Amino acid sequence: MNIVVCVKQIPDPAAPQSLEAGSHTLDRSGKLILDDSDAYGVEMALQLAEQAGGGEVTLVSMAPNGETAGLRTALAMGAAKAILVSDDALKGSDALGTAKVLAAAIGRVGADLIIAATESSDGYTGTTPVQVAELLGLPSITFAKSVAIDGGTVKVDRQTEAGYDEVTSPLPAVVTVTAGVVEPRYPSFKGIMAAKSKPIETLSVADLGLDGGQVGAAGGRQVITSVDEAEARNAGEIVVDEGDGAQRIVTFLENLKVI
Amino acid sequence: MLTTKGSPSPISELNVDDSPEREALRSTVSKLARSYGRTYLKEVVKEQRQPTELWSDLGKAGFLGVHLPEEYGGGGGGMADLAIVIEENAAAGIPLFMIVISPSIAGPILAAHGTDEQKATWLPGIASGELKVAFSITEPDAGLNTHNITTTATPRPGGGWTLNGQKYWTSGADEADALLVVARSDEPDDRGRTRLSLFLVPTDTPGIVMQEIDSALTLPEKQFVIFYDNVEVLEHNIIGDEHEGLRQVFAGLNPERIAAAAVANGIGRYAIEAGTNYAANRQVWKTPIGAHQGVAHPLARSHIEVQSSRLLAAHAAQLFDAGHDAGEASNMAKFCAGQAATNALDRAIQVHGGNGLSNEFGLSDLWFVARMFRTAPVSEEMILNHVAQHSLGLPKSY
Ligand SMILES: Cc1cc2nc3c(=O)[nH]c(=O)nc-3n(C[C@H](O)[C@H](O)[C@H](O)COP(=O)(O)OP(=O)(O)OC[C@H]3O[C@@H](n4cnc5c(N)ncnc54)[C@H](O)[C@@H]3O)c2cc1C
Ligand SMILES: Cc1cc2nc3c(=O)[nH]c(=O)nc-3n(C[C@H](O)[C@H](O)[C@H](O)COP(=O)(O)OP(=O)(O)OC[C@H]3O[C@@H](n4cnc5c(N)ncnc54)[C@H](O)[C@@H]3O)c2cc1C
Repeated sequence: MNIVVCVKQIPDPAAPQSLEAGSHTLDRSGKLILDDSDAYGVEMALQLAEQAGGGEVTLVSMAPNGETAGLRTALAMGAAKAILVSDDALKGSDALGTAKVLAAAIGRVGADLIIAATESSDGYTGTTPVQVAELLGLPSITFAKSVAIDGGTVKVDRQTEAGYDEVTSPLPAVVTVTAGVVEPRYPSFKGIMAAKSKPIETLSVADLGLDGGQVGAAGGRQVITSVDEAEARNAGEIVVDEGDGAQRIVTFLENLKVI
Repeated sequence: MLTTKGSPSPISELNVDDSPEREALRSTVSKLARSYGRTYLKEVVKEQRQPTELWSDLGKAGFLGVHLPEEYGGGGGGMADLAIVIEENAAAGIPLFMIVISPSIAGPILAAHGTDEQKATWLPGIASGELKVAFSITEPDAGLNTHNITTTATPRPGGGWTLNGQKYWTSGADEADALLVVARSDEPDDRGRTRLSLFLVPTDTPGIVMQEIDSALTLPEKQFVIFYDNVEVLEHNIIGDEHEGLRQVFAGLNPERIAAAAVANGIGRYAIEAGTNYAANRQVWKTPIGAHQGVAHPLARSHIEVQSSRLLAAHAAQLFDAGHDAGEASNMAKFCAGQAATNALDRAIQVHGGNGLSNEFGLSDLWFVARMFRTAPVSEEMILNHVAQHSLGLPKSY
């Protein structure tokens, strides 16, 4: 059971963020860390590989400046190796460009299952994984709240607004997981030390056999034309309970037509 | 999904970590500790129990034994690694005392002087947190003057010893599996000095009576006076060589100082973070109070003090890990950290106005915990004595 997990390395959400002038894209020049959203995918993959009684978990990431800090975190959790695609030509990539790169990198591994998060914490378009699936010609199942392997098929409980769907698909397939799927482990000290010597293969666009014109700003189909401040929200209403608190909340919710 | 839970503090700290692995250790422990947070510790103290959940998470991940030998279940790292674990917990508002004792003192002493059997019996449990060893050296009538220890180990005819005496301020004795006891094992010489030996005594041995000290510390670990009344110590429970106790205890004292400095530095960071957040958001006139230099400068000053003290602690840990004499640096690091933490907490309380004294804000209830580092594990005065004598070459004063 060989599993690929797409992991995005993002600027630390706790640190102040800024947009680059002109392109309006997130400034990614500082240190990047493992997106918390992807820790769930890594954990799921590790558990599935363990349950299958063998096989490897390989990470695939596209990030600027040869960044490996986030990959090391996922390797410390227990993944076996990683592929990093880093190339100046990728600057300004949109989701489709990213998907082309990830698909090409995944193609080199030969995976039974590809896991990604439902959406990233910084870009959160939630479109990359399905595009990867399409480019690889694989089925994709999104919003997985549980994943199980049964021989050559994957069984997924797919979160919906009303409840969940039970979906079965032949392998290989792309599955995107939600934050509820498993509880990610903290890397152990041994894991952190072992991650130091696990292989990370760094590839350029050319190594993947892609043409610079297909990816990055050059191949981008999406342009950010302007960025505006989010509208300030109105202050919430504070209901002080004077014996009628419960009734007033019920009335409030009725007015919103939620009950 | 933007998680704030577990996020590191936005305050920029000097990077004292000399490898990407140490940086990764720091961010991992920080995330783990902050997922518990100060609220957790306060609950634990209120419920009069131990922080078992966090302790066991730290143990399972190998964080409590980072510095212990790999062949005995440790991580094979050094005190620099353990200091990271300790500091990040304290910086999250969780000063863990037991780490300063069982892994920091008992661990290195056993690793350095224990027999293979003792190491195999105790170190894996200390590293995983499943076993705890408390440290019982201070006595009411001897205090800082270890030569005056009167707890006595008398050899028994059939082998082993009988312990008699009294210790005070043995932290966490009630939750410990064993006590590391320093006792005199010989008659005093003509200068009144006695040779000491070191024993590992299971806490369920008959004759051990613990009496809790009513202390001001809001910690899960309780403090005890311990009476040793004809306590039988088996032959295989002496650590290292008979009469060599004092020399052997030194294997644990520099790690203890480094660990204590790490707790205090973490408390300092916690206080500065709280004070800074409050100063940035609290507004009573036209600007946030942090815009007034009278509020901002004390916090900035504390930040400098705490960062300097972190550098000193990192230096001490580096010396210790490299096998150099770390006595001077470890003591100085503990001295600075105790002062920096107390100052930072005092200033953070001041910035909070009346709220600084409300338990809800998690500052005033830390006061005696931080203040303690000016007294224990070794007092400021004794460190000054040591520096005056050994660093400055002045005559011995005591
Ligand atoms: C204008 C612009 C400029 C950009 N500049 C750069 C750049 O300079 N360098 C660069 O590397 N990227 C760059 N990107 C790519 C960008 O960061 C995202 O990777 C891409 O747009 C995916 O969008 P998303 O975050 O909405 O992903 P989503 O579709 O929300 O992501 C879902 C999941 O897909 C996987 N995934 C997404 N992106 C990656 C990735 N990069 N690596 C591994 N797995 C991933 C993760 O599992 C993720 O949780 C740029 C994007 C844009 C729009
Ligand atoms: C919360 C807490 C936890 C502790 N945990 C432990 C533990 O787990 N195990 C353990 O064994 N001990 C523990 N201790 C004891 C601690 O190490 C001692 O309190 C400390 O070493 C001081 O000893 P003493 O209290 O007897 O003070 P004393 O030795 O009586 O000293 C009193 C004062 O006189 C000063 N003084 C004494 N001699 C001199 C001198 N020559 N020159 C200048 N000043 C001097 C001291 O600095 C101090 O200010 C703990 C103490 C506290 C408060």
